[in-house]
Amino acid sequence: MRITFELNGKRVECEARPNKTLLDLLRADLGLTSVKKGCEQGECGACTVLLDGAPVNSCLVLAPQVEGRAVTTLDGLVDDPLMAALRKAFMEDGAIQCGFCIPGMLLSAYALLRENPRPTEEEVKTAIEGNICRCTGYIKIIEAIMDAAERIQNERP
Amino acid sequence: MIELWDGASMEYDKILENLLGRDDYLVVGHSVVRTDALEKALGRARFTADYIPKGTAVVKVVRSSQPHARIKVDVKAALGVPGVLAVLTAADVPGHNQIGYALPDQPFLNGEKVHYIGDPIALVCAEKEYAAAEAVDAVEVEYDPLPASFTLDAALQPDAEPIHEGGNVAVTTRIRKGDAERGFSAAEVEVEDTYETPYQEHMYLEPEAAYAVPEGAGKVTVVGTMQSPFLVREKVAHVLGWNLSQVRIIQALTGGAFGGKDDMGPLVCAKAALAAVKLGRPAALVFDRDESVAYTPKRFPARIRYRSGADGEGRITAVEVDITVDCGAYANRAPFWLWRMTAHAAGPYEVENASVDGRAVYTNKVFGGSFRGFGDVAIHFAAESQVDRLAEELGMDPVEFRLRNVLRPGSRTTCDQLLDHSVGMEECLRGAAEAAGWKRGRELGRKGSRVRGVGVGCAYHGISTSRSTPDWSAASLILNQDGSFTYRTGICELGQGSPVGHAKIVAEIIGAPLSSIRIEVPDTDSTPNAKPTHGSRGLMLGGTAAADAALKLRQRMISVAAEMLGCPEADVDLREGRAFNRQDPSEEVSFAELAEELYVRGVSPAAYGFYTSPRRFYDPETGLGVNYSVYTFAASVVEVEVDTETGQVDVVKVWPAMDVGRAIDPLMIEGQIHGAVSQGIGFTLMERLVVEDGLVLNPNFKDYVVPSALDTPEVAETIIVEEPYRHSAFGAKGVGEPAIISIVPAIANAIHNATGLRFNTLPITAERLYAALRRRKP
Repeated sequence: MRITFELNGKRVECEARPNKTLLDLLRADLGLTSVKKGCEQGECGACTVLLDGAPVNSCLVLAPQVEGRAVTTLDGLVDDPLMAALRKAFMEDGAIQCGFCIPGMLLSAYALLRENPRPTEEEVKTAIEGNICRCTGYIKIIEAIMDAAERIQNERP
Repeated sequence: MIELWDGASMEYDKILENLLGRDDYLVVGHSVVRTDALEKALGRARFTADYIPKGTAVVKVVRSSQPHARIKVDVKAALGVPGVLAVLTAADVPGHNQIGYALPDQPFLNGEKVHYIGDPIALVCAEKEYAAAEAVDAVEVEYDPLPASFTLDAALQPDAEPIHEGGNVAVTTRIRKGDAERGFSAAEVEVEDTYETPYQEHMYLEPEAAYAVPEGAGKVTVVGTMQSPFLVREKVAHVLGWNLSQVRIIQALTGGAFGGKDDMGPLVCAKAALAAVKLGRPAALVFDRDESVAYTPKRFPARIRYRSGADGEGRITAVEVDITVDCGAYANRAPFWLWRMTAHAAGPYEVENASVDGRAVYTNKVFGGSFRGFGDVAIHFAAESQVDRLAEELGMDPVEFRLRNVLRPGSRTTCDQLLDHSVGMEECLRGAAEAAGWKRGRELGRKGSRVRGVGVGCAYHGISTSRSTPDWSAASLILNQDGSFTYRTGICELGQGSPVGHAKIVAEIIGAPLSSIRIEVPDTDSTPNAKPTHGSRGLMLGGTAAADAALKLRQRMISVAAEMLGCPEADVDLREGRAFNRQDPSEEVSFAELAEELYVRGVSPAAYGFYTSPRRFYDPETGLGVNYSVYTFAASVVEVEVDTETGQVDVVKVWPAMDVGRAIDPLMIEGQIHGAVSQGIGFTLMERLVVEDGLVLNPNFKDYVVPSALDTPEVAETIIVEEPYRHSAFGAKGVGEPAIISIVPAIANAIHNATGLRFNTLPITAERLYAALRRRKP
């Protein structure tokens, strides 16, 4: 079936079987390999994207469900100041090891800071609870998200 | 000067120190932003599955549904499924179908007999995923069941059905040092127990994947997720019956590995390669999560009977250890795993009398394999529980008791290996205990139903491969005409960042900005063979080969620069991408100018670095010898809070310490320690693979629970102890594996401190702890 939605700020029209997941649509059909396939069961968070600004596991969303809605992947936020602050903090704080969870992790962190610019450590932990990382033990990731929040605050007039 | 660089006899730590003559290093020892961080943060880092274009043939594995059976395979119906391109069985393997890692017990595709649920029988190749899945179901396998053994005791029964020829004991080990019985007769206290450790699934975020492309006549390129490109090349060539030069292996960025992809890299890449060669078109195999959890190797389960004694002075007088490793269906790494457990059986302590026996036993379950810490996690859980109990029996403080026994410079290991330098165990233990406020911490008491406790764990881990396997590594470095560098190593980036560590070593020696050194992806057609990325050898062995290459190139650059600057070689220094005269730093040439001059003069701008580790040996009868060239030492203190109403354990805080030889990058060391703390918490408290009659019942993140961000404890700043190793670049030792070993017994010992309950089996889940607390109540 034919679906139309907004992907990273641009209108996209494409053909998709009704049982195709948003994950497969993005990765295989549209070539957005920043969206990672880790479990296809909605448990690992590697395929996280923003659907109308809220983080979702794209493996649990069927392609036709995004009809008329806005999907954002990491690729659409390269120049976004908040994402840039998160990226910088992740890099400088040593929050990135293998990198496979990172696109999903960054998107969950981004959604959190958009809603809640000064989260507590517990709020950060809860926001990324659905994003599994097996390399870092989360400590540097949590630290980086807190750092990014602080930097963004300090930069505001 | 060059003839000095001859490998094992080299004292790299001193040579580099003297040669560079710097008070403080430029990049070594300082934390940097990893050079691979940006592409990962942008989502542009490419993992294997990201390389697979549309239209690639899909490969799926037909697996055994029975744990032990003779089989007959009929693929006719599967071939009739629309969209199916081929169905390959053992009969289609053109080279060798035997792919066992250490022992010849593992068929690549099983044509006659299956040994566990999930054993590969055939490969289905199809245009699309759906057709492949349908064809997998259409392959007819006729099973003639054989009696199956699911436990060590069942497999060891005299009348047990042999899983492989020669019976169910795959391999044995032993150590005889001193006289254990004499040691026990000198003991004032004795403790004995049997410990059991379970499977642990790696749960790396990226599932196994390989993408193979046939090239011309008689060549295949495979892009895959792996830890040892040259082992993958060997196994792919072996299966195809080709020469090594006909196989090109490229390691794509690997999304976590922890040992698992050292085993799976060859097995998955060989399947994709066989399909691509047979089809004459590109083919890819990507595991789904169920497959990755249910059928691929995990941490080997083990059972350890441990008896130890100590005298009234608190000295361990003897240990007697009996180890049984559960191989599962294939021995795979078990001979190495078992030997590591055997060699480290006494823990990081000097024990004069030791008797250790080990055996690895086949069962009809998913097979074990490499996993961070190798056998040292299990053996230290037992050894460190015993040490705590001996201290308790003697009424001594557990830290004080350990300090009376720890390995020090001049000590001899359980294998009678003299440790003459780089032995920082005592400093690690003292450091962690002091940071944690050990004495004060022991009396934390209770708040309502919640009770706190602290525990300590020590660990040591021989760096590099076990069984005294000769070890060496290689690397190459090219100075390009614009003054930038191309660095190649077969050591893989798996998340741990070893190749970045190599680049830092190169940058330090050659005075180049880190950003000017490009690390190329491992590609067996152009990368020197660095041997595997395992055994915590990636930085130590691979990095020393990098140092060797950098030293050679540095010498040539200095020699040409001296002539360009008109000064003696001794006055030339290299820094920030330029060569200058130390006497007059304004006289300088840029690396671009210098490179041009090297090319014009015909002085080679490329260097091949090679490092070989000092020789090791052991006597298989007594186990005595030089087993590992050097050891990394670690200690952890852990504070836990136990909810006595629910049995739930929270790890509140961890104080880690490690003797790393020399820290190349403190931030990356912390990264390894933090990740290991999390995996250690998982192994000790949460992760439980449920296997019933050989079937894995929980092959997913939902039912096999690994730590999430909510399970993250506070971790104190890592105490980095630096006791340099003479024969490695700057004295660095491996970090990745040692990081997980001490955390496991430290948690178990803390639970004991909190509750008085001692657990000899892992994981200590809330249910088990709850039940134990209830049982104890009058």
